[in-house]
Amino acid sequence: MSVILRLKDFTFSYPEAVAPVLNRLNLEVETGRCYCLTGPTGSGKTTLALALKGLLSDGSYDGKIDMPGQTDGNSMAVGMVLQDPEVQLLTSTVGAEVAFGLENLCVSPAEMPQRVTAALQAVGLHKPLDYPVDKLSMGQKYRLLIAALLVMEPQLLILDEPGAQLDPDGLELLRNSLRHLKDSGVAILLCEHRPDELLAEIDIFWQLDNVGSLQQGRYQKDTAASTIQPPEPVCEAGEVLLQVENLAFLGVDDQPVWTDVSFSVGRGSRYALTGLNGTGKTTLLRCVAGFLSPQQGQVRILGDAPDASRLRGRLGCLFQNPQKQIFETTVRAEIAFPLKRFGLKTPEIESRVAEALAACAIGHLADQSPHKLSYGQKHLVALASVLAPRPELLLLDDPLAGLDDFHSLAVMELLIHYNRQHGTTLLWTSHDPEAWSGWADQVLHLERGRLVAR
Amino acid sequence: MRQVNLTPAPPQGAASSGDVARVGLRMLLALTLSCLAFVARTVPFLLVLTAIDLVLLWWLRSGQLSLRRELKAFGWQTLVILVLYLIRFQDVTGLWAGFKISWQLFLALLPSMVFVRTTSQVRIVQALNKVMPCRTAFVLSTCLKFAPNLLAEIKSIYEGQVLRGARILPRDLTKPWNWLDFIHCVVVPAVVQGMALAGNIAVAARARDFGVRPRRTCWPGA
Repeated sequence: MSVILRLKDFTFSYPEAVAPVLNRLNLEVETGRCYCLTGPTGSGKTTLALALKGLLSDGSYDGKIDMPGQTDGNSMAVGMVLQDPEVQLLTSTVGAEVAFGLENLCVSPAEMPQRVTAALQAVGLHKPLDYPVDKLSMGQKYRLLIAALLVMEPQLLILDEPGAQLDPDGLELLRNSLRHLKDSGVAILLCEHRPDELLAEIDIFWQLDNVGSLQQGRYQKDTAASTIQPPEPVCEAGEVLLQVENLAFLGVDDQPVWTDVSFSVGRGSRYALTGLNGTGKTTLLRCVAGFLSPQQGQVRILGDAPDASRLRGRLGCLFQNPQKQIFETTVRAEIAFPLKRFGLKTPEIESRVAEALAACAIGHLADQSPHKLSYGQKHLVALASVLAPRPELLLLDDPLAGLDDFHSLAVMELLIHYNRQHGTTLLWTSHDPEAWSGWADQVLHLERGRLVAR
Repeated sequence: MRQVNLTPAPPQGAASSGDVARVGLRMLLALTLSCLAFVARTVPFLLVLTAIDLVLLWWLRSGQLSLRRELKAFGWQTLVILVLYLIRFQDVTGLWAGFKISWQLFLALLPSMVFVRTTSQVRIVQALNKVMPCRTAFVLSTCLKFAPNLLAEIKSIYEGQVLRGARILPRDLTKPWNWLDFIHCVVVPAVVQGMALAGNIAVAARARDFGVRPRRTCWPGA
């Protein structure tokens, strides 16, 4: 095995940062090996990946990145798939997407179809070249992105948190693809804080800590969650807060997303709605909240049909990527905003904000700008601002996506605290049927367009 | 180092120069109709343009086009403009002028929307490459592709903020003092999201060596 990439005393700092995010890193990458970079949220895994690909533009750095392996003009040394597949798919058809890199390398158009087809077969994506990208599942999109890099024949392939995007089936297919890539000499670097499903293919673990140091071995704080006992189930749920009957929703080209969906949620209970990516969990939550109209069936929520103006203050919603709702200049103002709009008096607002800050353990950030916080901290701020009004029913769309186990545990404990303390009824979605399902009184699973209770 | 041994596949759906020319013509037609809508000041002129657009819609009818959806958007846009005119002029005499402005705006946007929804992005890039630098062509086509993503983001922000108590429901926005909530809670986060989206797209393109060379070749398929 030969070394294809070497880092020597590499240090990187973001502008205005007090301390470097990466601090005197040394590492070597060899052909045909799979490395896994672990570490808590915000420890700099993505920053290191961007540095290896040469995509860091703002900031100051020191040290060296050597790439002894030479590439010819028709290939590239390092390929990288970022976290969110949706924003990386730049064209509208499968063939054009895979060919995008070849266009950039000025490969002759006559040569492209053969290379594109080979790359698609290497990841097991058997679709026509003019197949619309929009119609692929999330797992297929991820493999398409890998094909779009393989076609450029990289020596090192970096995948940033594939586990956050892929369901168990998608991870199984990814594991097979990784095995083939290793066999053909490609080095792989996974930036992942939950690598369990890909363990069989990982040769070497690295861990980054919160001061930017790198050492061999796996980040161990991830085991914290497994030692925590799930809370006691709610013995007797109260009145029905949410009643869903025979709901059906048609999506693109009038294809049913799901049909015959019925369930009810009692006051004070905790429900998990699970299902693979693309099964319509978000769509179902939006129907429940009244933002989408189902083609069939009816929803009764908090005593009547869904109506946003009636539900304000009683229903809370935390949609995917909750950081995007943040707009105030301080954490305190962000949490206080809904309380002011719901007409609470100033002393009550201050008391609720203090309670939310304490419950989320972000009291020390109260006067900071929420825009400058880490990913996990922003997540907690957004959640605190939804919890502070103490909604009767709280809908959460994949609230743990992108969080490490430490922050996931913090979020789940916070939700359980409000559930017990204030009787907040919870309905959360997850693409992983197993994760945290023990913390729910009932698990509803969406599969092949139908809802099944587990 | 590594080779993937596979049987070669024949090119599929390769674009002929005739295809590219047809796309270029359609693009030119859409732009011309949009520009004409801005200079149309009389009702007969607007009626003629409307008839041409309807013929275009019928000609290009497909699963991706829905006259009902376009008319719904027109209805909402007209309602907002009429409310603004009522506030501005304080009586109903300004409503006809408001309706004409809404009509013009709709006719300016409709041809471009129809063109984008009925033409493959690859074909648009191929046509644009003939008349502008390839990097500019890519940026333009990417803007078209990601416009719906940005709209979906804005919708998601709007829905979240409604339930956080922001006074931004249509009935709330009839009161001008609530417009500040809309700017504060929806426009500001939407701009932040838009910039983040643009940054992410740029990184994704650079991750596949976009911009490494001054020129690009073009995928021959559809």
